Amino acid sequence: MKKQIDLVQGTLDMLILKAVSLGGLHGYGVLLRLRQLTGGQLQIQQGSLYPALYRLEHQGLIASEWGESENKRKAKFYTLTAAGRKQLKAETESWNRFSVVVAGVLNAIPEGS
Amino acid sequence: MKIFRRKKFESDMDAELRFHNSAYIDDLIRSGFDRTEAERRARIAFGPIEATKDECRQAWGLQRMDEVRADLRLTFRALRNNPGFAAIAILSLALGIGANTAVFGLVDAVILRLLPVRDPSQLVFVETAGTAGRDGPPYPYFELLRDEAKSFEAIAAFSPSNMEIVIDGGRELARGVWVSGNFYQMLGAAPVIGRTLAASDDQTPGKGGPDGAVAVISRAYWQQRFGADPAVVGRVVHMMFDFEHTVTIVGVMPSEIMSPELGRPIDIAVPMMLSDPVKMRDRVSLWLEIVARLKPAVRTEQAHAECNALFQAYMADVRIPPEVHTMLYDHVELTPAAKGLGGLRTQFLQPLTAMTILAGLVLLAACVNVANLMLARAAACQKDFAVRLAIGAGRDRLIRQTLTEALVLVGAGAALGILLARQGQAALAAFFAQGNNKIVLDLSMNGRMLLFTLTVAVLSGLAFGILPALRASRSDPGAGLQSGSRSIAGNRVSRRLGHALVISQVALSTVLLAGAGLFIRSLRQLELVDLGFTREGILTLEVTPERQMFGKLEWLTVQAEILDRVRQIPGVRYASWATMTPLSGRDRGAILDIPGFVPRTEKDKDVHLAALSPGYFETFGVPLLLGRVFTSRDDATASKVAILNETAARFYFGNTNPIGKNVRFANYPGHDLVYEIIGVVKDAKHDSLREQPSRFIYIPIPQSVDRINRLALAVRCTGDVVTFVAPVRQEVHSVRSTVLINNVSTIEKQVQQSLTRERLITALSTAFGALALVLACIGLYGTLAYAVTRRTNEIGIRMALGATRGGMIWLILREALTLAGSGIVIGLPAVLALARITKALLYGIEPFDLPTFASAVLLLLVFTAIAGFVPARRAGRLDPMSALRCE
Repeated sequence: MKKQIDLVQGTLDMLILKAVSLGGLHGYGVLLRLRQLTGGQLQIQQGSLYPALYRLEHQGLIASEWGESENKRKAKFYTLTAAGRKQLKAETESWNRFSVVVAGVLNAIPEGS
Repeated sequence: MKIFRRKKFESDMDAELRFHNSAYIDDLIRSGFDRTEAERRARIAFGPIEATKDECRQAWGLQRMDEVRADLRLTFRALRNNPGFAAIAILSLALGIGANTAVFGLVDAVILRLLPVRDPSQLVFVETAGTAGRDGPPYPYFELLRDEAKSFEAIAAFSPSNMEIVIDGGRELARGVWVSGNFYQMLGAAPVIGRTLAASDDQTPGKGGPDGAVAVISRAYWQQRFGADPAVVGRVVHMMFDFEHTVTIVGVMPSEIMSPELGRPIDIAVPMMLSDPVKMRDRVSLWLEIVARLKPAVRTEQAHAECNALFQAYMADVRIPPEVHTMLYDHVELTPAAKGLGGLRTQFLQPLTAMTILAGLVLLAACVNVANLMLARAAACQKDFAVRLAIGAGRDRLIRQTLTEALVLVGAGAALGILLARQGQAALAAFFAQGNNKIVLDLSMNGRMLLFTLTVAVLSGLAFGILPALRASRSDPGAGLQSGSRSIAGNRVSRRLGHALVISQVALSTVLLAGAGLFIRSLRQLELVDLGFTREGILTLEVTPERQMFGKLEWLTVQAEILDRVRQIPGVRYASWATMTPLSGRDRGAILDIPGFVPRTEKDKDVHLAALSPGYFETFGVPLLLGRVFTSRDDATASKVAILNETAARFYFGNTNPIGKNVRFANYPGHDLVYEIIGVVKDAKHDSLREQPSRFIYIPIPQSVDRINRLALAVRCTGDVVTFVAPVRQEVHSVRSTVLINNVSTIEKQVQQSLTRERLITALSTAFGALALVLACIGLYGTLAYAVTRRTNEIGIRMALGATRGGMIWLILREALTLAGSGIVIGLPAVLALARITKALLYGIEPFDLPTFASAVLLLLVFTAIAGFVPARRAGRLDPMSALRCE
């Protein structure tokens, strides 16, 4: 088993938005999709998912609706709202810029070597 | 609603987390774990579930609400456990807030409220003005303005007047107003039922318009007189103007817009064209009020210039004596009409200021008192707070807890205060009762009053809550938990704070008590003032004959006959007629020209004028100083005679004897009215008990300058005055059954009524002063009782070293007197400053009244000494051994 990576502070919200943007999901579904997308490399405490979901819903970035799960059980499904879509786009761009800059710094070769 | 949503939130959250858990367990089982192991792994992977739920609630913004609810629960529990504290705090706040709400109601009704009409800020009054003040212009000028002025969208006129109305055969007096036809349309007033008056109703003199003579009535009159019967529209009543008119009621209007005159209730409004045609044509008679609506783009100065130009052109061909011109017809002035006619405002500004200050002080005293109580409680709760801090409560939570307590107290206080204010409304309405002209104001609760109360409540809650809250947040958990109860609370800051609060309580009591003393003393002075006439045993009533008798000789005969009959009633000593009686609120002025008297200003010619029958001075017990009084021989055909009062005689004739000298009335152009002085009587109060004696001239009724209609009958009798009302009424009606009798009263009652306002202020300030004193004593007692507990150890040591019990008592008592003394020293200059503001309300004493101040200080010292003596005695009784052991 590969060593898991700790989540960078504040990125969980962004990942949830991304996961939900690919199609409506219930909370457990978000967890499964994140696991699938990261190839199980990210360490996510299952419980921490829910405060994040509630926060995002309270901010109006995702919306929720009760529905039926794959195995016919009552579950709460989350979908991305228009505001959430905008937010995801903005965060993706700034993350990309950020990672390029950080990577550039870390990959710098000492002068003269 | 909130609570339901809250429950749903919890159950939804539970369901969602349960689903997550079972879905994960299912997956684990599918991948080969047995159920027990799967459940265990699921629990570990999820983490602490309650903490997660809490985070969810917080993420949803629910935590704040939960905390508020917890604070409230805790507060209610704390207050239930301290009913004494809660009761005193809430009651004193209720009194403070209630007093302010009630006084604000008056200020709102008299000073702040705008007329409830369309766009009131565009309205102006147009008044003629001169050295004698402002007055309403003559009717022809109104017509000129209406036809010529370009500055206004619309111009309307009104003039209040009592009107006689015959309903179901009975004659009644209604409070009426003459209005120009467009009056209510200009104000933008809509009728309650029926229609309002229109310009077309006011076209033909003596007739009205196409619908004939019409009128509208107020909603209040409709309800009281017609039982709110909708059939009143279309009803025909008879009204006595110059001759009897048949008038159709066409509509009911909201009571508050019947007339823009503040505090004067109006029953019925009738078009101007039905009023006296002679008066309407009169080019100098001042009887109208003109109110106009400015065009949106026109500034007041422009409109003023235009009105004035028109007025000067109008006056060019009016011939009046130059002195009258400068006094009354000099120019016109425009005043804002948004708040209605403002006589009441100037009249009540000072008493209202005094009441506002008084109420503010009471609220301040209540706040200081509650702050003091809360500090004492906070000291007792110190340990509690320390424990809460130690187990992780945030300091902001403690501050919030204390502030919640303050706001709950103030909320309860405000609710109770509003109730008290409603109860006090009757007393406050009496504040405006004066003479025969009752002022009626709408004092009912409105949004602005509630907003005011709310603001006052929140501000005072913060004012007395903030100190204890800050103190609470500063508690040190370490020290709080370690030490015994005394040493924690004994820190110096809180003690000093407590002292400061007690001192300010004493200072406030000083102000309120000394103020009450000033009002009591000046009321006493007023009650003892020399009226110049007898106040006991005089019955007065106003008698109005039918229109047909106005100005006729027949009315004089009827008067004489009534006097004869009334004088026959056993127990009646004197009876007489007069155009006005003292303190009745009636007045009449005249302008005198006296050969040999050189006036320094136009005002020097002003004099009050009353027409009397023989026997008037005997009835009122006014002593004759010189010459003779009127007799029945001074009739219409005899040579004209007059009597002066002392002040007028001295003013116009100095030390020379005025008997036999002539005076001329100058305000009747075209008439040569010369009267010979035949007597001088002593001064008597007329308008109020406070006034300086003013100049009066009396003439016999038959020789009156103008037509006399309504007259007051004064009857002096022995025994109980009230028992004479029925026989006197009967005798009057037996002479002439159709005369109207109203305003039946006694002089005694009118004297009492004229002091209503003073009495109210005195009663209020006394009650408030006593309240503040009691609160200060409670505060002082609390502080000292606490000091004794704190110093038990020290007292024990002192006594062990040989201090006497008396010495110990003095130790504590000295603290009491120091606190009280400091408060008094701070309070006295404040009293002086306030007394100067309220000087206009005082009578017969100076703002610096030594006896009043000395008794206030003495009272304070005695009460604070008593409040201090109880704990002091406890200090003296301490047993040195147990005091030393106490730790």
